[in-house]
Amino acid sequence: MSDSIQRDFLDPAVLGRLMGLPLKSRHSMVGSVSGRHRSPVKGSALEFAQYRKYVPGDDTRRLDWRTWGRTDRYYIKEFEADTNLRLCFIVDTSGSMAFGEAAQTRLDYARRIAGSLAYIAAQQGDAVGLCSDSGGFDHEIPAKRGALHLGIVFDQLTKLKASGDSKLVTAIHQAAEKISQRALIVIISDLLFDPAPLREALQHLRFRKHDVALFHLLDQQEVDFDFDHPTRFVDMEGGASFLADPSLIERRYRDAVTNYFKEIDEIMNHSIIDYHRVLMNEPYEQALARFLMGRNPKTARSAR
Amino acid sequence: MSFLQPLLLIGLPLALLPLIIHLIHRHRHRTVEWAAMLFLIDARKMNKGMARLRQILILAMRVVAVAMLIFAASRPLSGGALSLAGGKAETIIILLDRSASMEQQILETGESKRLAALKKLSDLIEKTGKSSEVVLIDSATLEPLIVTSLIDLGAIPQTEATSTAADIPAMLQVAYDYLASNQSGRTDIWLASDQRESDWNPASKRWQSLRVDLAASNNVRLFLLNFPESSAANFSIQISNVQRLSNPQAFELMFDLKITRDADQVLGPVSVPVEFIVNGTRTVEEITLTDRETILLGHTIPLGNSDQRGWGRISLPADDNLLDNIAYLVFDDPAQRKTVIVSNDPSTSEAITAAAGAPVKIGADYNAVSFTEDSVAEIPWQETALLFWHAPIPSNSSIESSLLKQHVNSGRTLVLLPPEASNTSESLFGFSWNAWKEGDQSPLGIGWWRTESGLLANTRSGDPLPIGDLKLFKVRLFEGESQSLLTLETGESVISKLLFDQLSRPSGEIYAWGTLPRDGYSTLASDGVAFFVMLHRALDAGAFAASKARSRNASFGALSDAISVNPLSTSQEIQIEPDLGAGAYEVSPPRGDALLFALNRPYTEDSVKTVTSEGISSLLKGVDYRQISDELGSGSTLALEVWRAFLTAMALALIAEAILCIPPKPELEGSRILQTPVVGN
Repeated sequence: MSDSIQRDFLDPAVLGRLMGLPLKSRHSMVGSVSGRHRSPVKGSALEFAQYRKYVPGDDTRRLDWRTWGRTDRYYIKEFEADTNLRLCFIVDTSGSMAFGEAAQTRLDYARRIAGSLAYIAAQQGDAVGLCSDSGGFDHEIPAKRGALHLGIVFDQLTKLKASGDSKLVTAIHQAAEKISQRALIVIISDLLFDPAPLREALQHLRFRKHDVALFHLLDQQEVDFDFDHPTRFVDMEGGASFLADPSLIERRYRDAVTNYFKEIDEIMNHSIIDYHRVLMNEPYEQALARFLMGRNPKTARSAR
Repeated sequence: MSFLQPLLLIGLPLALLPLIIHLIHRHRHRTVEWAAMLFLIDARKMNKGMARLRQILILAMRVVAVAMLIFAASRPLSGGALSLAGGKAETIIILLDRSASMEQQILETGESKRLAALKKLSDLIEKTGKSSEVVLIDSATLEPLIVTSLIDLGAIPQTEATSTAADIPAMLQVAYDYLASNQSGRTDIWLASDQRESDWNPASKRWQSLRVDLAASNNVRLFLLNFPESSAANFSIQISNVQRLSNPQAFELMFDLKITRDADQVLGPVSVPVEFIVNGTRTVEEITLTDRETILLGHTIPLGNSDQRGWGRISLPADDNLLDNIAYLVFDDPAQRKTVIVSNDPSTSEAITAAAGAPVKIGADYNAVSFTEDSVAEIPWQETALLFWHAPIPSNSSIESSLLKQHVNSGRTLVLLPPEASNTSESLFGFSWNAWKEGDQSPLGIGWWRTESGLLANTRSGDPLPIGDLKLFKVRLFEGESQSLLTLETGESVISKLLFDQLSRPSGEIYAWGTLPRDGYSTLASDGVAFFVMLHRALDAGAFAASKARSRNASFGALSDAISVNPLSTSQEIQIEPDLGAGAYEVSPPRGDALLFALNRPYTEDSVKTVTSEGISSLLKGVDYRQISDELGSGSTLALEVWRAFLTAMALALIAEAILCIPPKPELEGSRILQTPVVGN
């Protein structure tokens, strides 16, 4: 039945262009198979890691005879071990994620980012998983490798619907508890709720040694508040609606936005999160390219 | 506040239009599904302070602007410095000073103070008082006249110029009486005058009761429309003591001539051509003024052999006030100067008879007769020019009282002498005797005496009468509104001239002498000079009334005892009553031959002294009144159209609204934060 599901959030042309930019973890990963990412366990990769003193029982094949010849002491030469990573998405599916034009809501934008990154990760041999805050973790898809599993992730992305209050903080805490091994956790949300509890949730992830990235999706209209006439604003998350004259509250609205961003920035800087504020009028390819380049030490400077 | 187009005020609810538009604008809102409610809620919380007040002020400014526009279209009226607030008056009473001094005018336009006042009041009534009852009370007639045609007050005969004096307290009294009798509701009294002290008569005791009455009238507002300015260069002329002298060769006319100028600063000698027209013969004489006034005493003009009787007119060139440039005189055979003494005291009678019977003027017939109190009925009243009443004051209901009033009202002179009787309860003309006062072994000290006018005035040569040599041993004090001519050191009057208001003013003069010309009372008889002069001056005044050529002040009723009046020459056309204008008249009395009358303005009209604002506030203390001082040719109106002020207020409201609508400066730093995505670590 999956064939009948349209995966229009995947654009082959975009994927083709992004494939040249590998998805890299900023921290070492504990993978089950060999991959592109550093592992805390030393292995037989080509990249030199360190010297250490020989202890009985070590594999004598890894003795560095040249150092023995110079110093008359036995040293073991160690190399980095490359492994794969677990990429896990947490997608906000609150009602506010339905904001935007009909052709591209915020959730659509989130799908495109998540789908593209999942595809790139799968192509690198990394495991991909997904959980959303809408249905709790009943619909959790654990991180696994393989094309078939990728298809399941895509299907689940397609089925996501925006409704209700945001439960992102709860979802983050649950993910931190359930994902035992180090993983790259990508959060995609509009963060349109009181930011204070977010600080603790993100620190929870960092405590479990996860590499955390956050895409903060906003619409230009939400920032500018460019309205001319009195408007009744209906809460997309089911709250109360009220009538407001934009000319009266425009200035105060912008003050509120400014204060909000200051608080968000402070939380992100404190939690050491790979934070990306994305305005949805920006092509998602551009946002992804900036994200991928920023994670590669060789291209990070140009990305910023 | 009054409006010329009050119907337009019906549109005043349109001022709420901005508010209604605002509400409609809010009602026609669109609905948007919104995600960032977090920011909206915060914005609303922050917006409850100044921003909300600002929006309310913007709406208020818009409402005010529309309201001001409607007010301006309704053509509001205001009195400028004068506040017309308080609603329309049911009755408007106009008190018009028609005295001669109100004819001061601008020569180029011919607009006098009286006409200026009438114009302003007509304009005021047309604008604000169309629905009010308008009552005119003029100073000359003091008769309330209900004005039905409001087109032009100046077209009403009762507003024409007169040569009379004004009695402001009498006018106010008439107005108050009218209000009391008609039980008028809210009333505005407009008093138009030139604030002359002679008209206001601040010394009058009537002010006290007037003040109380007006202050007690809650619905009465008094507006004083004053024209206090004096002329820069106005000349006025007066004549007095006109006598026709009979010389063996021809007749000669003798009179005193006084020319006065109003100039505040004496500019040096000035020559004035004075025109004399006597029985049709015209002569012009240059008279030089070196000071504020020049008095020619005993000025003579030769008459023809046939000019036994006639009239004359003496005039100055035209200046700021035309009415005070002309004086009239009439002359005829001198009348018999008959003096009657009513006294039971032979000493007093003898002294008066001796002095009154002595001839003073050539050709005049002097005669003095005494009667006892019991023989009053025998007095020849028609022939009597001067009456000495040395008897108790008769009661008001007595025949004697009526005869005395008739005597004075016919223009003759009455001298009241103190009776020995101690009865003080009776009064006549508001006058009554008080107690006797005697010196302790020495004469009573004399305080001062009036030297410029009256019985004790200086002689024609300017020498004072020997009043200082006079000794007073016994003086009876008296009560009554009077002008003191001689007082004691202690201030009490010894000799006074009784004063009357305009309503009850008799034609003749009444004097009160507080002492007698006999031993034990005074040295009037023994030092006879002062007594002789006083007596003959009083006799002259009465003799004018008894003569066939009489001179009177122009006033309402001055010719009332005439059957017919033939004007010989008048300076103005008076449509209602000829006795209000100066002129020479031939009058047919009920009995006897025709008389000649010369009516002139009262001499008090030439006095430029005005009542100060402080003086008026003192006179009207406690009364709700407002003063409006105006000037001739000012062009101002009592009711100004103030729509410009409302348009200005509208413009200011719109400017304030525009300023409030200016959006605040964008916060550059905040914009950068909003627009630039932040890349985390």
